[in-house]
Amino acid sequence: MDTIKLYLRSMKMLMRCQMEYPRSFLLNTLSQIIMQGGELFAVMLLIDRFQRIGQWQGKHILFFFGMMTITFYLVECFGRGISNFSPVVQSGALDTMLLRPRGILTQVCCYAVDPRRLGCIAIGIAALCTGSRACQIVWTLPKALLLLESIAGGFLLITALFMIEAVTCMHSVKSIEMVNVFTYGGRSTCQYPIDIYPGPLKIMFTVIAPFALTLHVPAAYILDMQILNLPGWAAFVTPLSGLVSFLIMYTVFQRSLKHYRSTGS
Amino acid sequence: MPYIQVTSLQKSFTLRKKRPHSFRRDKETVHALSDVSFSIDKGELVGYIGPNGAGKSTTVKILSGILTPDGGSATVNGRIPWLERKEHVRHIGVVFGQRTQLWWDVAPMDSYKLLRDIYRVPEEQWKKRLGELSEALALEDFIRTPLRQLSLGQRMRAELCGSLLHSPELLFLDEPTIGLDAVSKLKLREFLKEENARNKTTILLTTHDMDDIQELCSRVCVLGHGKLLFDGHLRDLLSRYDTLQFLNIRYASPALLPALPEGCAATHRDGAWQIAYDPQKIQTPTLIQLLQSAGTLSELSAEKQSIDHMIARMYEEMHL
Repeated sequence: MDTIKLYLRSMKMLMRCQMEYPRSFLLNTLSQIIMQGGELFAVMLLIDRFQRIGQWQGKHILFFFGMMTITFYLVECFGRGISNFSPVVQSGALDTMLLRPRGILTQVCCYAVDPRRLGCIAIGIAALCTGSRACQIVWTLPKALLLLESIAGGFLLITALFMIEAVTCMHSVKSIEMVNVFTYGGRSTCQYPIDIYPGPLKIMFTVIAPFALTLHVPAAYILDMQILNLPGWAAFVTPLSGLVSFLIMYTVFQRSLKHYRSTGS
Repeated sequence: MPYIQVTSLQKSFTLRKKRPHSFRRDKETVHALSDVSFSIDKGELVGYIGPNGAGKSTTVKILSGILTPDGGSATVNGRIPWLERKEHVRHIGVVFGQRTQLWWDVAPMDSYKLLRDIYRVPEEQWKKRLGELSEALALEDFIRTPLRQLSLGQRMRAELCGSLLHSPELLFLDEPTIGLDAVSKLKLREFLKEENARNKTTILLTTHDMDDIQELCSRVCVLGHGKLLFDGHLRDLLSRYDTLQFLNIRYASPALLPALPEGCAATHRDGAWQIAYDPQKIQTPTLIQLLQSAGTLSELSAEKQSIDHMIARMYEEMHL
């Protein structure tokens, strides 16, 4: 409870920091909306051209795109400290966090927020709603809860993937771009359902970075479709893979703090 | 048991140096601390000095729980800093002179409110403490101005307040007076003395400013090459190196300097002479008489060696 209060107060203060530069904030938010809007536009062009990709129609793709966009930019917005960890190490902020009687991950989350990403999230919501209406989804309570579970699972998964980069930062100070294959690569690959891809990609994003399990399986259930030959009830279980990924990376993160070397004086 | 107990502490870092014209890198191990032991009692104010790269900051970082040492042990109030981090840091405050720990874009007041939540300081206690500190450090004028708009001296005072809000028993100060003007320095020293005396706060101060040490610390520890080279009273340290004095003279009419006894060195600048001598070997009046024998003096002044020179000599002799 106490931690949530601290988080909310930190967010309030960080928002005030952002508003110290209102014009920069407005322009940045606008550019984010245009960027993500452009991506949505590209997806719509693709749908228009091909109509069908595998078993999926354009309206389905729109739904998948919406779920990925919302989940990914929720992390980029509220977990900005994790997704952009290298400045935390370089500026010495990590040293300061180690000097305070709170969990490091809590403090990293309280360290940064990126409200500009709210624009991207809005685009995601628009895509999700449009897709949902076009598919004529009948929303039931289980389906609504599953959507939330799936987004939460995806949120944890993406956070965990960003934590891989954070851990490498602690050792080498600079971030290693290779990890972006899973994070940003995962976002652009898995905004389409996984079964349209060839084997290796399927394995990579089902087993190693389980985007398919956290987002695609539940999405297919909500759309009354089937993916990866899984039974319907599985959709309620597979998003937990996000939680598992997070717990694994959380342990690794805590352990690597012990080997942290700090930066100059 | 002493408040801080450090026993044969060790820490080394591996550096990778790039070879010129090659992609290969050489590994090199730097022993930041090779064997450091000391103990500090509650309420002491200790100066921790040494040339750049001696391992001062590393010691502070280990004792504050940021770094894990490779060997040896350290306890603060019976706690091992890097193993019981959260419980340990609740009772310490740290100020890094070259790095801010407050939030850059908001006023100190907002930072203090967030610190209150982070340290879980009760509202009443926080208000009382903030009142005391803002009066002692004269923060009223700028407590509601964004930190980035403050001068260096104001910022340092704001930092100090932030690190003391949770009433720590132990305060680490890493070069707190760096870049401050004379007035700010004096005020800061006054405040630290007061804090140490009134609240029995143990203070460990690393600095390059020898006046800080002379004004504040009854005890100094000298660190060099990762080893403790001296631990004791500043006076005792200086008496070892405090052997030289200087006479500055100018002759009324151009004159040749007389032959000086052994152990004296003369330097000439802009028509004036500076004679360095050892008062143990030649007494000052004798030397003055000798100088007067060569001609009438128009100026005469004596000075002691500056403390910085002494420290420089000490570092030289210790091969630092």
